[in-house]
Amino acid sequence: MYELEATADILVMSTQAKAAERSTTTESIEVRLVRRALEGDRDGFGQLYSLYGPLVHGILLARVPRSEVDDLVQDIFLHAFKKLNTLRDWASFGPWIAMIARNRAIDFHRRSRDTVEVTDDIRGTDESSSRATEILEIVKTLPDAYRETLVLRLVEGMTGPEIATRTGLTPASVRVNLHRGMKLLKEKLGLKEGL
Amino acid sequence: MNDDYLWDKSGEPDPEIQRLEQILSTLRYQEKPLELPEQIRPSRSTNHVFLLAIAATVLIALAAAGLWLTAHRNQVPQNHLANAPGSNATPEPKIAEGPTAKPKVVEPPTPGDRENERKPHLAKARVPAKQVWTRKEQEEALAAKQQLLLALRLASEKLNEVQRRAGPATPVKNQHKVG
Repeated sequence: MYELEATADILVMSTQAKAAERSTTTESIEVRLVRRALEGDRDGFGQLYSLYGPLVHGILLARVPRSEVDDLVQDIFLHAFKKLNTLRDWASFGPWIAMIARNRAIDFHRRSRDTVEVTDDIRGTDESSSRATEILEIVKTLPDAYRETLVLRLVEGMTGPEIATRTGLTPASVRVNLHRGMKLLKEKLGLKEGL
Repeated sequence: MNDDYLWDKSGEPDPEIQRLEQILSTLRYQEKPLELPEQIRPSRSTNHVFLLAIAATVLIALAAAGLWLTAHRNQVPQNHLANAPGSNATPEPKIAEGPTAKPKVVEPPTPGDRENERKPHLAKARVPAKQVWTRKEQEEALAAKQQLLLALRLASEKLNEVQRRAGPATPVKNQHKVG
């Protein structure tokens, strides 16, 4: 039920709503940076990396083992740099790289299933890290749309409007995902440890 | 649960959400320098649809030309000989009346034929094909030719349409799935 609703929310990506919500400043920055990168300016792409690194990191953290995330972030940006010419709407860099990250996560699981099952070692270096990893594992049991939005909000510290702008989802979808995801997370955490 | 705080961190903070934020912030992204090898650059953009349209048009044109030439080569020599003044050839092209009528001519082998048997590649080049077309076959060939010409016109129209739509640096909103 939740998964169906979440999927429907993702699919309802109204371009009009996106255009209304997206700030013109961010749009112009993305367009300018993509243009610079395509002209061969590596610093331009470096700024895109700084701007969208947290988004890609959050998307991956919600889907693949933590130990793999940093390498995958680098791979994804390298891939994006090579394929930047295929990006037709320069203002949509965020949704584009978010999709690359999701596909790469799926690809990672497909490959690891053929070789060996990869699991996170929840024993962190200290207590807080261990606790964080434990909660992250619980977040990962939630439906895709909820866990991605929750990780971007709780781990990466992005606000709902920022998540909507960068992922290309409608603000309404993000709000619903945050609300339902948090409700589910609290239920699961309550059952497990009472936080 | 305070929705406003969860949404944009405004309003009264929710203690449970704050606690979660505090714990999970240890996993937050820490930027590392991006290593872009010097030899790697964004690929040059190509308009694949435009190139495909051109390739399809050229292929159709070649196929049409090939078929037309094949059909024409078998018809023209007979017509040409028949109409030439002082020609000893038969006045009318040899056309069978029905699909079942197949002329059988048995001739004694000539020295040239014997040579052709030894060198079949020469035989193919020297001896013209004695092909007799029935009326039905001729009609089919003409129909095929008309269809090919029509396909060629359609491909040409599509190519023009693609050119019109492509235009110079037209921004396209839809994105391909990449990765």
